[in-house]
Amino acid sequence: MRNLIAFLRRFQIFLIFALLQVISLVIYVQFLSFPRSQYLTTASNVTAKVLTWENDVTKHFDLSKNNYALQHENIRLRERLPEFMYTLSAGKVKVEDTVFQQQYTYIPGTVINSTVTRRNNYFTLNIGTKQGVQPNMGVFSDKGVVGIVHNVSEHYCVVKSVLTKDINIDVVIEPIHLSGILKWDGHDPRRGSIDGISNDLRIKKWSRVVTRGGSGIFPKGIPVGKVERIESIEGEPLWNVVVRYSEDYRTLQRVYVVKNLMIEEQHELEGQIPPDEEEDLLR
Amino acid sequence: MNNLSKNIIRFFVFVVLQTLIFNQLEIGYGFHLMIHPLFIMLLPFELGVISLMGLAFLMGIVIDIFSNTYGLHASSLVMMAYFRPIVFKFYGPREGYDPLKEPNVFDMGNRWFTFVFGILLLTHHFWFFLIESFELNQLFFVLQKTLFSTVPSFLICLLLQSFLIKKSKTK
Repeated sequence: MRNLIAFLRRFQIFLIFALLQVISLVIYVQFLSFPRSQYLTTASNVTAKVLTWENDVTKHFDLSKNNYALQHENIRLRERLPEFMYTLSAGKVKVEDTVFQQQYTYIPGTVINSTVTRRNNYFTLNIGTKQGVQPNMGVFSDKGVVGIVHNVSEHYCVVKSVLTKDINIDVVIEPIHLSGILKWDGHDPRRGSIDGISNDLRIKKWSRVVTRGGSGIFPKGIPVGKVERIESIEGEPLWNVVVRYSEDYRTLQRVYVVKNLMIEEQHELEGQIPPDEEEDLLR
Repeated sequence: MNNLSKNIIRFFVFVVLQTLIFNQLEIGYGFHLMIHPLFIMLLPFELGVISLMGLAFLMGIVIDIFSNTYGLHASSLVMMAYFRPIVFKFYGPREGYDPLKEPNVFDMGNRWFTFVFGILLLTHHFWFFLIESFELNQLFFVLQKTLFSTVPSFLICLLLQSFLIKKSKTK
């Protein structure tokens, strides 16, 4: 016992050092994949307030560019209004629409804090549970996909952007509907890559990449980017498809959060799939 | 102004500078300016390692909360605080440090500061980027980021000292 105390006293400094390291690394690893609380993130009230003040100053830096983008989106939407179209067949019977039912609604938000040069980049938005944001909702802007909601507080939320290590969004390469998983290697905020595409398939350069809409997080067909390069991976029968993002995340400000009205129905149905026996054995 | 209140004010100044200004300057290409290690460097000589590490952890967590890094800054700052006395001892004068002086560039001279702070900053940045990427096969990229970030961070820390510190009149 005396030896133990002597040992502890002798290595006191190193032990405290190790303890602090373990605490911070455990927080880091845990929050990276599954945040337990909002208090250590920018979704907490105090930090979000400070960052909002900061954003009040810095948001004007990209104002003209953002106005331009919003104006063009408005034009695109206005073109779809019935008042702006020439009626080809007048006097048709009005039909109650039973074919389409709304599946997705959107919540507008503003980015108040963002990083793009780190290994894992998060965006803080000024909307939270009060506006109906929940974790694991998709986020996109008028030009492309942005990320998935990671953590929510009452008035703010933190979005895990496509510039993180394990973002794994289902995407398809457009004309041939090849599906793969979007990844980011941490080097360039303008380019990502798609995993899991077998190298006997032909992919055209500059073909569009859009979301697949399989997991119910994003609607189908939200743009991601364009195929810029196709590289072969040594020792594996797979392509490494480099995608150039259509959104410039460095100047991103206005985003929309996707709310899937039927997500619970989908999860309930998918929960009935019996789990694989092999996975059970591993557990 | 006594030492304690001076360091408390410095703590807030460094947190604000780092989170609201230097975190927002995103140059890309692996440049990542971090000036908060200077706070740990400028703490007085006679402070023990344990309180150094405690302060480093506290400051790291505060910066982490503002930048969504969850303990990454805390880990690397604690690492730097642990090595500070070791490096100080290695480069220290034979009769020990003068407790009236402060470990800044004006009191201790260019040569001493470059060596000691350079090594500590390099340790801090290397650990930071290593934990951030968490993959050993990206080691080259980690080293590149470390080198690219340490040099500008060091220069900015040198500049900052002339704003934040009054030169001692003994010189």
